[in-house]
Amino acid sequence: MPSVNGSDVKRVIVACDAGMGSSVMVASTLRTKLAKYGVEVKHTPVDEIPGDANVVLCHQGLAARAKSTAPGAVVVPFAIFMGDPAFTKVENAIANNQVLES
Amino acid sequence: MSLSDAQSATAANKNREGGVGAAVQRFGRFLSGMIMPNIGAFVAWGLITAFFIPTGWTPNEGLAALVGPMITYLLPLLIGYTGGKIVHGIRGGVIGAIVTMGVIVGADVPMFMGAMIAGPAAAWVLKKFDKLIEGKVKAGFEMLIDNFSIGIIGMLLAIVGKLAIGPVVTKLVEWAGNGVDFLVDAHLLPLASLIVEPAKVLFLNNAINHGVFTPLGTQEALETGKSLLFMIESNPGPGLGILAAFMFFGPRMLRASVPGAIIIHFFGGIHEIYFPYILMKPKLIAAAIAGGMSGVLTGVILDNGLVAPPSPGSIFAYITFTPKGEYVGMFLQVFIAAAVAFVVAFFLLKFDKELRQEAKEEAAAKEAGLPDPMTGA
Repeated sequence: MPSVNGSDVKRVIVACDAGMGSSVMVASTLRTKLAKYGVEVKHTPVDEIPGDANVVLCHQGLAARAKSTAPGAVVVPFAIFMGDPAFTKVENAIANNQVLES
Repeated sequence: MSLSDAQSATAANKNREGGVGAAVQRFGRFLSGMIMPNIGAFVAWGLITAFFIPTGWTPNEGLAALVGPMITYLLPLLIGYTGGKIVHGIRGGVIGAIVTMGVIVGADVPMFMGAMIAGPAAAWVLKKFDKLIEGKVKAGFEMLIDNFSIGIIGMLLAIVGKLAIGPVVTKLVEWAGNGVDFLVDAHLLPLASLIVEPAKVLFLNNAINHGVFTPLGTQEALETGKSLLFMIESNPGPGLGILAAFMFFGPRMLRASVPGAIIIHFFGGIHEIYFPYILMKPKLIAAAIAGGMSGVLTGVILDNGLVAPPSPGSIFAYITFTPKGEYVGMFLQVFIAAAVAFVVAFFLLKFDKELRQEAKEEAAAKEAGLPDPMTGA
């Protein structure tokens, strides 16, 4: 099971089906929150998650695909697109250098 | 119901579907992935059409000359290129475009479906060839081989496209068109919502809309000036009705997030935002289906249609692509769908066991003068 230390996270990938709609929206809200930790936020289609990604956020309906595209990454699924606890979890892990697991 | 309950419930759902769900999603993504990056070109074509054709806002014969070549050549070539690129990078894209050209010339109708077949297929052949000669090319001859392999294979496949694929796909498009006409004439098109709405919330929304409706609808719009097929999946009405019902009658902890979701859904056109609300209370899919069907039925009765694919499915895209003078029909279709979805969702939420329990506890707490468990106030 992949895991990563909060301080090792330099980039968070937000993935959705097309990489054009909901992921862009989630990424833009997350980007402002994570900028202060020097963490970059990118959005991609779920089938094109870059191989070196270590943290991926995506809706739970797409999590299976995210895991098969990026087996080495910590995939954090979320249920709703705004105010989901998963976003706070990732932010806290980065802020406090906690371990993130899929 | 708490968020984590919802998460485990849908996680269980997902396990039941296993890999099949992901495989279907992935194939859908393959189809929509050829169309979606090119939606901007569809929008440009739609705007030019809306403004400059004889029945448009500012008819202009000279500028209307753009309409034909764009739909005959530009859009299919972009799709063929993108389809090839998905399979085999830029080289795949180039040969995809070459072979799509053969298919276009071999057909009498715009070749969206032809491009969606020929582009990836041509790239696949080139990929096999590239694999075959990998490591066998003498140093210094790579560029020569690279260019001429695309040139020669592209030429041969373009000929196949012209002589075989074009005519065959023309027939297929004709049948598909007849099928759609039949569904419309028999007033059966609303039944499409039975499949479309559940598929949507399983994240097949792009696959269905852009894999199926955008190519078929564009074909129809070219013949008749508009297509109702653009308004089946993309109608923001059902989602609006469901979100509104959640705002008033949904689980208390979720209500606060709904107004923002409504704005993003209805005006921004990102429908994904309402899927989670349905996944949490899966029976609400009935509200989506009822809303979708009433919307499509309204469209069939009023002979509605849009001139180009509204993507994303925002009310602004709808307004932009509504034919001149047909606004009332369009708004009726959207708002009837919203109203029906709202009413059905209202009843489903009203008689939801967990929510009634929640309401009861709340009332009891109030009576006992205890602090509200949700706000802690």
